[in-house]
Amino acid sequence: MAHAYVPEIAVDREGNEHVVQGWQDDFYGGKLGFWLFMLTEVMMFGGMFLALAYYNTLHPQDFLDASASLNRLLGGTNTVILLISALTMGLGLLKMRAGDVKGSKLMIWATILLAVLFLVIKGFEWTAEYNHGIFLMHGEMLPESTMAFGKKLFFGMYFTMTGLHGFHIIIGIGLMIWLLKRINAGKVSPEHYILHFNIALYWDIVHLIWVFVFPYYYMIGAATGGTSGH
Amino acid sequence: MSKTYFDETHCAIGHPKSTFMQWMLTIDHKRIGIMYAAVMFTFFFVAVATAFLMRLELFAPGQQYIDGDTFNQAFTLHGVIMIFLFIVPGIPAIFGNIVMPLMIGAKDVSFPRLNWFTFWLYILGCIIAVSSLWVGNGFADTGWTFYAPYSLNTGTNVIFTLVAAFILGMASILTGLNFLVTIHRLRAPGMTFFKMPLFVWGIYATAWIQLLATPVVGITLVLAIMEKYFGIGIFDPAKGGDPVLFEHLFWIYSHPAVYLMILPAFGIMSEIIPVFSRREIFGYRTIALSSASIAGIGYLVWGHHLYTSGMADIAKTVFSFLTFFVAIPTGIKFYDWIATMYKGKIVLSTPMLWALGTIITFAIGGLTGVTIAMIGVDIHLQDTYYTVAHFHYAMLGGVVFLLFAGMHYWFPLVTGKMYDEEKAKIAFYLNFIGFNLLWFPMFIAGYLGMPRRYFDYLPEFQIYHQISFFGAIIFIVGLVYMFYVLIQGWRKGEKVGVNPWRATTLEWHLPSSPPPLENHSKVPYVDFDPYEYFHGEPVVKFDANMRRID
Amino acid sequence: MGTNTTVNYKEEKVVYYKVLVGLLLLTAVTFVQPHLFMTHSTFLAQMLIAVVKAWLIVIYYMHLKGEKLIGSMVIFALFLVLVFFVIVIGVDVTNFQFGAESYITAPATTGAEHVTAPAHH
Repeated sequence: MAHAYVPEIAVDREGNEHVVQGWQDDFYGGKLGFWLFMLTEVMMFGGMFLALAYYNTLHPQDFLDASASLNRLLGGTNTVILLISALTMGLGLLKMRAGDVKGSKLMIWATILLAVLFLVIKGFEWTAEYNHGIFLMHGEMLPESTMAFGKKLFFGMYFTMTGLHGFHIIIGIGLMIWLLKRINAGKVSPEHYILHFNIALYWDIVHLIWVFVFPYYYMIGAATGGTSGH
Repeated sequence: MSKTYFDETHCAIGHPKSTFMQWMLTIDHKRIGIMYAAVMFTFFFVAVATAFLMRLELFAPGQQYIDGDTFNQAFTLHGVIMIFLFIVPGIPAIFGNIVMPLMIGAKDVSFPRLNWFTFWLYILGCIIAVSSLWVGNGFADTGWTFYAPYSLNTGTNVIFTLVAAFILGMASILTGLNFLVTIHRLRAPGMTFFKMPLFVWGIYATAWIQLLATPVVGITLVLAIMEKYFGIGIFDPAKGGDPVLFEHLFWIYSHPAVYLMILPAFGIMSEIIPVFSRREIFGYRTIALSSASIAGIGYLVWGHHLYTSGMADIAKTVFSFLTFFVAIPTGIKFYDWIATMYKGKIVLSTPMLWALGTIITFAIGGLTGVTIAMIGVDIHLQDTYYTVAHFHYAMLGGVVFLLFAGMHYWFPLVTGKMYDEEKAKIAFYLNFIGFNLLWFPMFIAGYLGMPRRYFDYLPEFQIYHQISFFGAIIFIVGLVYMFYVLIQGWRKGEKVGVNPWRATTLEWHLPSSPPPLENHSKVPYVDFDPYEYFHGEPVVKFDANMRRID
Repeated sequence: MGTNTTVNYKEEKVVYYKVLVGLLLLTAVTFVQPHLFMTHSTFLAQMLIAVVKAWLIVIYYMHLKGEKLIGSMVIFALFLVLVFFVIVIGVDVTNFQFGAESYITAPATTGAEHVTAPAHH
């Protein structure tokens, strides 16, 4: 709503006035709504981790072997990249709230850059795995291959979950570009920064998912394998 | 004549001149609710027609009108429409939208534009689901549960149905999210959680299930799609996958979904019973908290769908034990409703008739559920007509009957007019008799061993199928007549004031009937309980500025 | 939580950097852990580290500190996921009765070493 919103007043029987919360200009409501949305993400990835743990329980050794063959160096690099991007995103929000719009935009650009870097590294990783014959509907993953069930399931879930996580990163990049447009249009400002706040939250949940995806896939078999896979 | 919400609206984009575009772009919760109702009842009748086709085929043993494959598609179509398009979004999307904001004294839901978007997401899901009837190899033939590995191998268009179910799930999540924030943020000043009408409690508990259970089925469907098209192996035993995992993940959502359907329906019941008994509801807090505990326990009982699927014995025992617990809060509600009616001045209007009818049908549906929660009994009755009859008594005789009750109850609120009471009562009796005639024989047939989802049967079951068939005809006539009476009421009905039922909750204290665009003229201060009656008369009264004058 | 709460930029920035250092340290621990401590329960150790990292992110980066309502909602959702794990993994899969004769637990073609693999960790 373009015009300024004036909240209504309700009066009780003693004549005391109570401000009525409207749906307009409800910062806490926006925040609550986005947190609830993030809970759905938790349940979604929770479901996938459940499937992963299910097969892990059935094939414990295969999972360790498969995990040992992942590239920990690239995975670790990506972990650090996401970590730093979470910082830049947070600082961007902080600058916005403090009134430094220009610095805030710079930080968002930095986050976008790191996100793209993450995807590029992910791309290299997947290419290497493809060349080793491990990719969806390819080589060892085909039904006729002799790779153990546990390993097939591990890699199947690996591509699904990191793929879905990557999809979230792509959406995040889209959201940040949209956010920049909204800032330029003056719709997001130090006074009305709920959109920025929620996109920062989104980026944190994307990071948070990786915090669990990374050890479950890359690290559980680290004791049995070398420091890096292929 | 003051303007109502039929005359003006806020729109998501711009200010269109044409009435049609105003409806398409509306963000008014009441209009969106009406549009949901229109779409849902259209699909409802499609699914009823499909069911009737199956009844027709089952009138005699052997093949008469449709072959086995078509029969498989028919029950899938019936299930998918009834579950995903009608009954899951049903009461929350229709009455949650229309009535809930009015009940808590809000101008709209918390995110009106999201609400508009959700509606169109729902329409998109509907289109994708139904379009597979005419595309490729026809509608899915897996049953609405998409059990792996068959759903991964069948040649029919399962992908359409999976995608549609995912999108409809997203719409459901967003509806729940919107309602949760609305109930937390937009209650009128003074209205604490224990001063909310019980329908709002029902919607609140439902919204939590929508929010937290639906993502699990969403990801299950995504994994099934990944399996079908990228062969990740997760549900396909040929690649080491375990179909039981699919059933686990599927029912982690789909069993709470049953409570998602029934909780707002119980909410409608809790609204109707005190109003037509002219008595304060008995045990307000126990009803409110039992809604919450049904939602909570409902998350823990999904395994009773897997008794015959090869789950560990210890897990079966745990699930059987947990399942019995759901009967406790449900029973509490029933006793509260009956205690409310005791010594009340009962007015047998049509909404009350529907509510009373539901007490009978849902009691049958609920108690037969307890019997099949027992592992040993369930081994015998799993996938028989007994189960079919059980969930139709619970879903149709519980949820849909209460949806109809709510439809009659809030009809004057939405339209500002009244239907013909006498005719509406005749419609109820037709429905009630037809319903019982249709489903009750199935308990017996199922107990004797008639399996579900078969398009042929042994001659000894014919008598049950024939009784069902005649019940179905009466039931369908009743349904059509009921909608005819309501539509006639909307077109030619008598205009009534804002509170024809002499109810007490806030949605009956609007400045005009039908309500104006932004609902209450002034937001009241709520320092009273939702159902205050004294000697059969409502206690709380307001002046034009929504100040209390009693 | 109005939109005009004043921001102590310097103070909050320091918090961000402190948390970053903590997270980087924990990531480093992740890498040395398999060779340093709890070497026989790497899985548990890794998940514990992840939980600590997640806690830091949620509390400081996502500003959940002091949010009573949202905090309890988050805990409720996490509790639910935990219950799903306990029931599906702890009650069902670990008691899988047909491990010996099941096709999916026995590798179809690669050797016989997993045929009798126990169905629990």
